Amino acid sequence: MPPKKNLSSTQTAPAAAASTTSATPTPHNASPSDPLSILGGILNTYSQSTPQRTKLIDAFLGFLVVTGVLQFAYCVVAGNYPFNAFLAGFCATVGQFVLTASLRMQSDPANKSEFASVSPERAFADFVFCSVILHLFCTNFIN
Amino acid sequence: MRLQPQSDMASRTVFLLFFVNLFVSWVSAAPLTSERVLAVIEEQSDSAKYSQFLAGLKGRGFDVKLESVKKDTLALFKHGEKVWDHVILFPPKFKGYGPALTPQQLLEFTKLGGNVLILTSPSSIPEQIRELARELDIGLPPKDYIAVDHFNYDTVSNSEKHDVVLANRPAVSPAVHNYFSGKQDDLIAFRGAGHTLGNGPLLVPILTASRTAYAYDSKEDFAYAQDPWAAGTQMQFVSAMQARNNARITLVGSADMFSDEFFDMKVQKPGSTESQKTANKEFCKDVAAWTFGEKGIVKVNAIRHYLSNEPNAPVNPNMYRVKNDVTFEIELSEYDVDRWVPFKVPSGDSLQLEFTMLDPYYRVPLLPASTSPNYTTYTTSFKIPDQHGVFAFRVNYKRPYITYVDEKYSVTVRHFAHDEYTRSWDISGAWVWIAGIAVTITGWIGFCALWLWSAPAAARVGLKKTE
Repeated sequence: MPPKKNLSSTQTAPAAAASTTSATPTPHNASPSDPLSILGGILNTYSQSTPQRTKLIDAFLGFLVVTGVLQFAYCVVAGNYPFNAFLAGFCATVGQFVLTASLRMQSDPANKSEFASVSPERAFADFVFCSVILHLFCTNFIN
Repeated sequence: MRLQPQSDMASRTVFLLFFVNLFVSWVSAAPLTSERVLAVIEEQSDSAKYSQFLAGLKGRGFDVKLESVKKDTLALFKHGEKVWDHVILFPPKFKGYGPALTPQQLLEFTKLGGNVLILTSPSSIPEQIRELARELDIGLPPKDYIAVDHFNYDTVSNSEKHDVVLANRPAVSPAVHNYFSGKQDDLIAFRGAGHTLGNGPLLVPILTASRTAYAYDSKEDFAYAQDPWAAGTQMQFVSAMQARNNARITLVGSADMFSDEFFDMKVQKPGSTESQKTANKEFCKDVAAWTFGEKGIVKVNAIRHYLSNEPNAPVNPNMYRVKNDVTFEIELSEYDVDRWVPFKVPSGDSLQLEFTMLDPYYRVPLLPASTSPNYTTYTTSFKIPDQHGVFAFRVNYKRPYITYVDEKYSVTVRHFAHDEYTRSWDISGAWVWIAGIAVTITGWIGFCALWLWSAPAAARVGLKKTE
């Protein structure tokens, strides 16, 4: 891996500058055909141009995915008894993921044109309301 | 819960029973079903022939009344009630038994719970008895057919016909209640006709002929073994039918068997060096005792079912829940001549409880748990199946020689109430998912807090973007 990386980075340096400048105004000089450079470019772009609240949402989504995968893995390994407990636990995570994803769509400034009538405050209020209902449902369902 | 032993028994019987139990030490002997015996005989003077047998009956508390066949006022019923509890029919000499003892009358008598002991002799089997036997699916031989056995006959009475057949006591099966097997070297002298049994499920043989016995027409000297009417163990000497209401009809092929002559007779088997006394007296006593309900009467004293795990659970509730642990108990007594004794299931047999809804869901053995002087308690515990509906506890114990036990008690089985399910934290398997919910909610709260805290920064970023 290391020799290949060095080789490709040196060869494709001039072409990268031309293509990336049009999409994002970054001073990064990575090549478009280098996977690591692309990844680095994405991360760089993400860290610089994404609002902090959206980053917070993404972190929470990542946390929910890990929680959900752990629960499902336990169900596969240890069996699904009691099944309603599994449903409640897994549904809480998945439902929370869906609600948070919705919040991300509505609160992201990039989508402002699509949700012109929904302010970020309103979106957050909806999110809290729905989440509370979801949590009540799950805690009841698990008995 | 006290239960009547048989549903068809009159309350009068129960009343009597009570006194039997109460004064059992004072009363030397008392038959269970009551004691009025009608003995129908051709002439009063003939009764001398059977004096020992009749005296034995009287000695055991039976009130035996001898009546002649010719008596006009002879009747089994009065005002629709039976006036006798048991009937003994001795063989008439010439004709039948008269209008009071038609097969229909005798069957009506058994329907009301009366027991009948029929003694026949080859020379006179009246048409009434033949008709009754046809109804019971018992095959009687034609007139003058006698049973002989050239290997087990009495050498002392010196009959060339070998017609005094010597039979052993019935063999004991470990799976059957047997009230007729005394000592195995007992010999029972028999002179008469055998009969055959049909396939009726209520018919039971009591004394079966040996493998070498056969029946032939005694008027045809040369018929002998060439054309036997019945042979070997297909031929019965004594057999019985116990009706569904537990009334008993016993048919004996030889009236001589019950006579004083045979009671006192010394017999000797061919090949044997010394003669021995017959066991007729004991065997005939056993036959009469069984027929007249001194033996083989089984009573259910009580039935209890309750929740196994709760110390103060109500007895015999109407409702259970699925998956309840239930204990079932049944107390069984058996009548033995003059008192109730604990009922014992034979070693080769099993008393079973069925838990049925249309079909048995469970059929579990009931095992003896405790014994009192009067009854045995059989018990079993099981978990009610995961199926709601109307179920019945059923004990269906129908065996030869004993009265039928068929008890059925229905209970409702409901499903779990909504608050009866186990809570999730009581099941260790659910802890992971409880933790999943807790982590999700905690994470959500943290997220909301961070979201609100980061508002200014978000606003700043938003402003920058719009610019």
